[in-house]
Amino acid sequence: MVTIEATAPDGKEDDHDGLARLAQAGDRAAFARLLEANYDLIFRMAWRWSGNREDGEDIAQEVCMRLGRTIASWRGEGAFRTWLHQLTLNSARDHLRSRSRRGRLAEAVKIHALVEEAVHCEPGDPAEALWGAVRQLPPKQCDAVLLVHGEGLSHAQAAAAMKCSESTISWHIHEARKRLKILMKAGGSHD
Amino acid sequence: MTEKDPFEQLRTLEPPDSGVEAKRRALIAAMAQFDDMKKTRAATQGMGWGWRLITGGLQTWRDAMTPKMNSRSLAGPAFATLLLVPVVGYLSWNLVATNQPTETQTGRSEEYSGDLPEGIVGDAAKQKATGEFTDNLELRRLAPEAKSDAADLLAQAAPAAPPVPLSVESLAAPSGSPSNTRAIRSFAQKPTVFIPRQPDPTVDLEEGRDRVAKFNSNPVKRVSEEPVSTFSIDTDTASYSMVRRALREGRLPDADGVRVEEMINYFPYSWAAPQSADEPFRATVTVMPTPWNADTRLMHVAIKGYEIAQPEKPKTNLVFLVDTSGSMQDGDKLPLVKASLRLLLDRLGPDDSVGIVSYAGEAGVVLEPTKALDKRKILDAIEKLGAGGSTAGAAGIEEAYRLAESSFIDGGVNRVMLATDGDFNVGPSDDEALKRLVEAKRKSGVFLSILGFGQGNYNDQLMQVIAQNGNGTAAYIDTLAEAEKTLVQEAASALFPIAKDVKIQVEFNPAVVAEYRLIGYETRALNREDFNNDKVDAGEIGSGHSVTAIYELTPVGSPALIVDALRYGKKEPVTQPSAGGEYGYVKIRHKAPDGNESKLVSQQVDANNVVELNAASQDVRFSVAVAAFGQKLRQDDRLGNFTYEAIGELATRAKGEDAFGYRAEFLTLVRLAKGLGE
Repeated sequence: MVTIEATAPDGKEDDHDGLARLAQAGDRAAFARLLEANYDLIFRMAWRWSGNREDGEDIAQEVCMRLGRTIASWRGEGAFRTWLHQLTLNSARDHLRSRSRRGRLAEAVKIHALVEEAVHCEPGDPAEALWGAVRQLPPKQCDAVLLVHGEGLSHAQAAAAMKCSESTISWHIHEARKRLKILMKAGGSHD
Repeated sequence: MTEKDPFEQLRTLEPPDSGVEAKRRALIAAMAQFDDMKKTRAATQGMGWGWRLITGGLQTWRDAMTPKMNSRSLAGPAFATLLLVPVVGYLSWNLVATNQPTETQTGRSEEYSGDLPEGIVGDAAKQKATGEFTDNLELRRLAPEAKSDAADLLAQAAPAAPPVPLSVESLAAPSGSPSNTRAIRSFAQKPTVFIPRQPDPTVDLEEGRDRVAKFNSNPVKRVSEEPVSTFSIDTDTASYSMVRRALREGRLPDADGVRVEEMINYFPYSWAAPQSADEPFRATVTVMPTPWNADTRLMHVAIKGYEIAQPEKPKTNLVFLVDTSGSMQDGDKLPLVKASLRLLLDRLGPDDSVGIVSYAGEAGVVLEPTKALDKRKILDAIEKLGAGGSTAGAAGIEEAYRLAESSFIDGGVNRVMLATDGDFNVGPSDDEALKRLVEAKRKSGVFLSILGFGQGNYNDQLMQVIAQNGNGTAAYIDTLAEAEKTLVQEAASALFPIAKDVKIQVEFNPAVVAEYRLIGYETRALNREDFNNDKVDAGEIGSGHSVTAIYELTPVGSPALIVDALRYGKKEPVTQPSAGGEYGYVKIRHKAPDGNESKLVSQQVDANNVVELNAASQDVRFSVAVAAFGQKLRQDDRLGNFTYEAIGELATRAKGEDAFGYRAEFLTLVRLAKGLGE
């Protein structure tokens, strides 16, 4: 285990912004504490994004590493969590993109063997299937859904994480909902 | 599906406990990064190692795909709408992976620059006060230093990158065999494609939303009442592609939406060409028996534009206006757009200029006008186009025009090329406002062409109107093969106009011709008085373009006369026009591409133009077969009981060399239609 060498000076466990500012200034202990306090959140988002534990862990590790690398350039504007949400979303997308390059080829070979028929593997769990559909949404809609419905952020908070207006978030959610229904119906016709 | 709100389910899905070991690894790695950061932060990274590997990837892509395009194997229905983008991505990635021993650091990080960690870039961009969370791709471009930082980070992070499974890699390596090609194609599709769409009623409904204008076929006119027929040429081909798509999907196209002239003009014909640029086009008129009616004749007017030789090609200033709204993300839309743009890029000279504007929600400049010499930069910008957001077409068009005007080339070709699935959202204003904008810009010298993609909400009607007002063509691209035809085979004709406002007027001789009807061109009809009115806009002809118009004529005394057929049917059949009698007079008006005054070319049609059906050239006969097919699809009763078999036979005998397989494909469509229609 990583040993936590110190606690935040003010003793507050959840002062992410304060810890982040210390870490930004080069405080190693503060950074360790910040990681410890946020790892579960990162992993949850990553797991939801990817739909499996292995990828979730890989993504979470990637996010942590990016944090270590870039905490110094965090400007301290807005909440640390907002920044973290954004970083996690982006890391997850990058990870899935590089993974799917390999995965999709294998899948394609399989599909070719099935006489060029368009075949979609249906996950068993409806919530799984739903996440599968969410992942097919346009990126920003997907982000919005993950933040608002997955993480329970308000539209305003999600807007801050995505650096857009609140009404844009509402619009993304609205569009996502519309599209999701279509996607789920298309997938559902196999059930 | 369940009745629950789908989004409720999202909240219920809780993750497993994160693995202790994984967490420990992550935190250690993060701390290492943190420690490293301080040491390396000040170091500046050169950008010189940029693009070598990716270029290699593109080359591989070309090698892999080019022969396929020529053999037209890409024209298959389901997977033909392939995505080349991830293939490029994959191949370059693959190269990177195999180069690992020597290129570990730069190679890997370069690969990742295709998918930079946006959060990092976004943050850096924020520091640079670029402010908005605009498209991440945009940010990558705006923040090169951030890119450098991120690349550096990822170079550091390389050990954590997933290993390359060799088995998968080796599958992709030889791209020559059909099965591998198929695999790559399938692989290249986004996952959405794997969801079967047909069985779902909602989606069916979506697919039925294409908006195609309906119109009635041209009526038969009596020469005694209306001796003059006037229309604007139409070099669009969209209707053929849409018909093809429908037939391949197992349905007959909407009869009233089929534009016969666009089907005819889809095919390349070798009509007699003009000898010099002084003569912008030449018309060849053939009069022959009508295959579907023994008592009428066809007057076939074939116009061929002067073909500008490569060195004479004017400099070109193109601005691509790419619809990147959410609806464009399907495999047959944006990915196909990107692949198409790449194809077109290969046709441009080093001094030609390319700009890219995307619109989704709001319009954004993706690429300021850039010389084609800097191909890497343009390809990079194309790569960055991503789908998301709604469509604000009007703002996009204005932005595209602004770019085109900023890089305007005097005496060159200045054109906005709009790639869209066609559902323009012009806000509170209506289609009319858009038309007016396009028209006004046309007058300033910037023309507009439309490349239509996808289906479901393709607004064919609006696209037609816009292209017509912009002095451009509307092509509908459903396969990469089609993109190749439109943008590579026909690049010159699509890009380099040699004459504009081309109007055709035919005056028939009432002594010889009793009745006539123009096949197709319903949407291009002009008033008789418009012919001499230079203010009335009409179609343009590009370099090497061919345009064909076919009239069905009923000679005086023929039993086919609509009014007199029964009562006077016994009169002597007219198989020869009365000696020396002129059928009519064909007049063509046109303007030079940058001119405002029209010139007139005219030609009389007499016995010298008459041939027997079998003596007509292959191209004439083939175009007549296409005309028959189009009318058959329109369920035009003037075709009598002419069958699909007869159409197929006519076309088969006129198939000719068919170097690109277009005519063979036509024959397939005739067979499909026969199966569906009978």
